[in-house]
Amino acid sequence: MIDITLYHYLFVGLVLFVTGLTGSIICKNVIKVLICIEFILTGVNINFVAFATYCGSPSFDGYIMALFYIAIGAVEFALALYIFYLMYGYKKSDKIDNYGDL
Amino acid sequence: MYNQIIFYISVFLIILFSLLTIMFKNIFYSLLSAIVVFFVTGILFFLSGSEYNGIVQLAIYGFAIPIVLGISVMFVNTQQKDKTKDENKTTNFRYAVLLTSLVFIMGIYYLIITSLTINPNSINYTENSVISSFDNIEIFAKGIFNRYAYAFELLSVILTMIVAGLTIWKRRIQ
Repeated sequence: MIDITLYHYLFVGLVLFVTGLTGSIICKNVIKVLICIEFILTGVNINFVAFATYCGSPSFDGYIMALFYIAIGAVEFALALYIFYLMYGYKKSDKIDNYGDL
Repeated sequence: MYNQIIFYISVFLIILFSLLTIMFKNIFYSLLSAIVVFFVTGILFFLSGSEYNGIVQLAIYGFAIPIVLGISVMFVNTQQKDKTKDENKTTNFRYAVLLTSLVFIMGIYYLIITSLTINPNSINYTENSVISSFDNIEIFAKGIFNRYAYAFELLSVILTMIVAGLTIWKRRIQ
């Protein structure tokens, strides 16, 4: 069986990034768009960790950056859902087209 | 050997369920698929040697975010859509499996191509720099509390300001 290399992880990151980007463009549901944005962040995280692991950096900065991204992504997600919750009371719809006048 | 098998199964699950997240019309099924993707990504971090990132990923994206998402889905009225749109779940699943297989084949092609390339910087991208779990925690401690201490503090201040701003905004709306 082929050994796992950096390119394997880069491929997974690429697939998650493209899936998230496509989903955030084509999906109409606000929550689904937010989930797809999280997919993009997760793909970036995989790249950070993979580069830190395979490129031989002694300080492993990629791990720290991945931790930054997880923290920022989680808080950003919670805030976006909070804004959605606030606006849902007025709009009564979860379609993203109705949120153009935010 | 076991690591490779787990890696390939994890990748297959990530691709399949990320596609299903987009394809499902029902937001609840999308949410469940997304939880699987986030959870399996944590396992990938474990495999790559970053246990701390794996634990954080599992704790935040595997448990905390799905709870927040589940609560937000409860606010959304999905029953009306279920009545009007009859979703064909098996067709969605077939499309997703087909697409996943295609992506997998493309991935194998990509890996064969990249294995033939010559690395100009003479960095060996195929060797995993293995570190022990204790070193891993030490690296995080040095990074968070030494080099990136101010960045983390600044980040926490900014996020607190955003939360406070949103709370004030909510009160003004009311």
